[in-house]
Amino acid sequence: MKKQTLSEWIEQLRQDPNVVYWHEIEPKEADTVPFPAEIDARLRAALEARGIASLYTHQAAAYEVVQSGRNVVAVTPTASGKTLCYNLPVLQAIAKAPESRALYLFPTKALAQDQKNELNEIIAEMDVPIYSYTYDGDTAPALRQKIRQAGHIVITNPDMLHTAILPHHTKWISLFEQLRYVVIDELHTYRGVFGSHVANVIRRLKRICAFYGSQPTFICTSATIANPQELAERLTGEPMTLIDNNGAPRGRKHIVFYNPPVVERTMNVRQSATKTAVELARQLLVNRIPTIVFARSRVRTELILSHLQAAVKERIGETTIRGYRGGYLPNERRAIENGLRNGDIIGVVSTNALELGVDIGQLQACILTGYPGTIASTWQQAGRAGRRHGDSLVIMVASSSPLDQYIVSHPEYFFARSPETARINPDNMLILVDHLKCAAYELPFRRGETFGGIDVEDVLDFLVDQGVLHERAGRWHWMSDAFPAQNISLRSAAQENVVIIDISNIARHRVIGEMDRFSAMTLLHEEAIYLHEGTQYQVEKLDWEEKKAYVRQVDVEYFTDANLAVQLDVLSNDRSEERGAMAVHYGDVSVRAMATIFKKLKLSTFENIGSGPIRLPEETLHTSAAWFEWKEVPSEFSPALFEHLLVGLANVLSHLVPIFVMCDRSDVHVVPQLKALHSGRPTIFLYDRYPGGVGLSEAVFERYEEILENVKEWVKRCPCSDGCPSCIGVSDTGGQPVKRELIQFLDEQLAVWSGSLVSHRSCEEN
Amino acid sequence: MKPKLSQWKELLAARHKKKTADEKNEMEPSERGATDVPYVDIWQEYGTKPYWFAGDYCLIRETVYPLDYQHGCYRLGALHDVHRRWQEASFSHPLSCRGFAVSDLFFFDTETMGLSSGAGTVMFLLGHARVLGDRIIIRQHVLPHPGAEVALYQSFLSDVDYTTLVTYNGKAFDWPRLKTRHALVRDMVPKLPAFGHFDLYHAARRLWKDKLDSLRLAEVEKHILQIERDDDVPGFLAPMIYQEFLQTPHPDRIMPVLRHNEQDVLSLIALYIHLSIQLLEAMRISDPREQLAAARWLEAVGETAAARGVYEQASSKEVKEAQAAKWQLSLLYRRERRYEEAVAIWRDLFNHGSASWKTKAGLELAKAYEHHFRDAAEAHRYAAAAYEAWRSLAKASRQGMEKEEQEWRKRLERLTRKKNKLGK
Repeated sequence: MKKQTLSEWIEQLRQDPNVVYWHEIEPKEADTVPFPAEIDARLRAALEARGIASLYTHQAAAYEVVQSGRNVVAVTPTASGKTLCYNLPVLQAIAKAPESRALYLFPTKALAQDQKNELNEIIAEMDVPIYSYTYDGDTAPALRQKIRQAGHIVITNPDMLHTAILPHHTKWISLFEQLRYVVIDELHTYRGVFGSHVANVIRRLKRICAFYGSQPTFICTSATIANPQELAERLTGEPMTLIDNNGAPRGRKHIVFYNPPVVERTMNVRQSATKTAVELARQLLVNRIPTIVFARSRVRTELILSHLQAAVKERIGETTIRGYRGGYLPNERRAIENGLRNGDIIGVVSTNALELGVDIGQLQACILTGYPGTIASTWQQAGRAGRRHGDSLVIMVASSSPLDQYIVSHPEYFFARSPETARINPDNMLILVDHLKCAAYELPFRRGETFGGIDVEDVLDFLVDQGVLHERAGRWHWMSDAFPAQNISLRSAAQENVVIIDISNIARHRVIGEMDRFSAMTLLHEEAIYLHEGTQYQVEKLDWEEKKAYVRQVDVEYFTDANLAVQLDVLSNDRSEERGAMAVHYGDVSVRAMATIFKKLKLSTFENIGSGPIRLPEETLHTSAAWFEWKEVPSEFSPALFEHLLVGLANVLSHLVPIFVMCDRSDVHVVPQLKALHSGRPTIFLYDRYPGGVGLSEAVFERYEEILENVKEWVKRCPCSDGCPSCIGVSDTGGQPVKRELIQFLDEQLAVWSGSLVSHRSCEEN
Repeated sequence: MKPKLSQWKELLAARHKKKTADEKNEMEPSERGATDVPYVDIWQEYGTKPYWFAGDYCLIRETVYPLDYQHGCYRLGALHDVHRRWQEASFSHPLSCRGFAVSDLFFFDTETMGLSSGAGTVMFLLGHARVLGDRIIIRQHVLPHPGAEVALYQSFLSDVDYTTLVTYNGKAFDWPRLKTRHALVRDMVPKLPAFGHFDLYHAARRLWKDKLDSLRLAEVEKHILQIERDDDVPGFLAPMIYQEFLQTPHPDRIMPVLRHNEQDVLSLIALYIHLSIQLLEAMRISDPREQLAAARWLEAVGETAAARGVYEQASSKEVKEAQAAKWQLSLLYRRERRYEEAVAIWRDLFNHGSASWKTKAGLELAKAYEHHFRDAAEAHRYAAAAYEAWRSLAKASRQGMEKEEQEWRKRLERLTRKKNKLGK
């Protein structure tokens, strides 16, 4: 059969009745300017040898702003040459003054590695002794000393800066004395709690620079978000100049919303997004059109991968399609990245691990299995398809989730809105105090000194009372035998990983991957089927103490899916608001999660073919929560019906709250209970999925009225007859009109509160 | 659970009130400054004086011991004898103090807040002992409060010859931490130059890592030097005690830590004496394992002649270490191309040793006959026997050793080939 080109395939797709929306982005020519005259001849020659004969306008603008001594944040789409925005000024500075130093921060080790390779290629071409190294947990001890003393460009991540570099700053004197530039790539990833931590790490960094007499310029790059400048300013505490005059060329880009056909009309059940994505990807791949498929979970990624590999085996060979996700070993990931760049691999199935700037070259087509959850993520993933010349295609396949259905039925919601606002709160007292301790460990605080512009003397005195600091002669000295950075993690997820060991070959056990502890409870329990690169392994033994999972290769017709039983206890009730029969509370809760049983699901049909118990200790999360509570089941409802109402309400909340408080769906959990443990009352809990809480549920508490109003409108507007996945969910309600009852219930509730209409602030508001 | 934001605010508000009240009754700390040394009279009684520098002070305690002082199994004045013998020794060694005066040696130990090597780990006590012609002097530099580090390092650095520090794990522990804290005040005090260093921890590791469960100084004191400490405060409590001392700076609070440190530096003298004797009189070490270890150390530092003597001595004993000594000796001979002597030892081990010795010695014999004596038949005979011995060992250990197996087979095949070629 003759292979179709992408353009031919696109024409064919236009006829597909399941395409619900088609958006085209017009092509654009490159916008370039010549190199500034002062660029070092060797640097210029090195760039020219790599085919860079001039600068895109945004690169030139970034260079000029940096030369003038100002900080800069450059917003650039994928593959627009963003790295030159910082590499150019940095290499130029070092070429001119070899004692200059630069610090590069990347959110992950993999990205740091990538950057080192690219940078070292340019440096080798320049033939100038510039040393650039990655400094992370994998760096050999022998090399560390050399990096500290002689590394011109130190490439690391915020975690390493936090625990290994700043507390040991006296070993880095040559870096800090001459630190000219701090580069923060992937700025948009520093949001929420993580971003707030990193902002404080940067406060500490600036404090140490000041001690050694340097005042670095910050160069940030970010994917498209609503507020890059604000984020960069809050993160660094410095005024920023925004660069967004992207001069890179691009071809025509088609963005298609695809809603799988309804297969069960009465229940409004659609064909699964996974199945649909596999079929679309198969068609592209058999035509040898380089394609990337994004999935929302590790298991989905592996399922899609194995289906695709099986489907295209005959036509193009299965090794040309690979998976890519967190948990693969670094060398495996490197091999996949290289394969993608040089064309040995034409298909890749990935989790959001490839959202970040890992360089894999450009693909022609991109399929999103389900809405990634945020507009920014969607654009990031969509950016993987795109060529400088010629067409590219992005297909978003909607799942039956309410959010996905909302997005595909309201394309204007997606296209008209700016991407999400990235929020951080560096002054969050809990986070700030953690870093204040680290800062005091690094250097004594002087009277009158502020931390990120904040007067912290009261906190310092408080820490004196705690026996952590000692105050004398207007200075606060660290005076404890603890090493504070060690106990403070910048990230919410447990850093401790379970190592996955393949014991298929008795003589040669080998590590094939790793997984965070929480996920391991449901994915690596004994008897679980663990999918890796499309290969099935069964977990034979999970050594929870040693954090090792021993797996053996198997060939079975099913995969496993585990249940997580969650128990929620209220620890304290800090704020309450009573509104008639209903009350809203805010306080601390503990959430204990325990994996209980797993199901075996048939690969082809997802049908349940067996189950088994899981025996693992529970995991505890202490966090903040908001909860809606009713004094009792209202007299007009039976308990069973009211429970359906709660479940329905929770279902809508779990999809609407993220839009209100700007987070991912996974950041806030919603739990309906007919009888809450602490009160015996009907309750819906919403809690932050971060130890200690991050203010998401607090925002829900503060805006509960507006949220409930929108829940009601949402359910009302949904065209289904009595519940669908897009509103209150689908469950067996014994034929009771839950949807109608819920609307009426909310109507009455809201009417009682306001006496009239609540002002109609919609959830589209940013 | 962490305190909530609102709780924080309350706490801080309460603090703020308290502070304003306090300030009315109190002078500014900076004014009160460093004009007086608390409990200076009591310090005086403990032989401790303030050392003033740049407006602040540190404390220096000086303690004197007689040369006859018996610390464990050694009289500390014996350092003079040991020193003399190093000057006369026929070999050199990293522990040798040849070319230095006795009083050049600074037996040095520190006390820190915690074990981390980061910038915030305070070093609050720098102690050293020196043996002079007529007495032993211990000087301890004490940080009376944080912020006085300029005075501390000024006093320490102008007092010590850092080219000849004798420490216990100082290379990895004390010195890097000292460098870190010094870096914070580096513009105000003398530079910290590179230095020579006798690290007794490494010596202890070489000699006793099989013998002792732990190589902590306390273990070495107890089992090797026969030092018993009475009323000693364990080192890990030092940070807590220092913290309490900062609250109430009465000398009695911190004296236990000073005494602990004093014992430590005295033990370093005893340990240096002991280690020196072990090396100088390695022929006479009674513990065969230690003797072997001493000989290996001499060999490792290139003192082959001295090592050979000790190996020879050790191999004449009726203990199982004798075979190891013979083996080491044979390797020495081989390196010196004294094949006849080496082969004699290998034959001995091959004929009388265990299967493991049979394997090792047999292999060496096979190599020697193949490459040196060019006797393929004899080489093959030894290789075959050694291979048999190896197989029985490998079988017993139940481990797949494919690589070794292949090597053996290759060797045997090659030797068979050579043997046959010659036979024709």
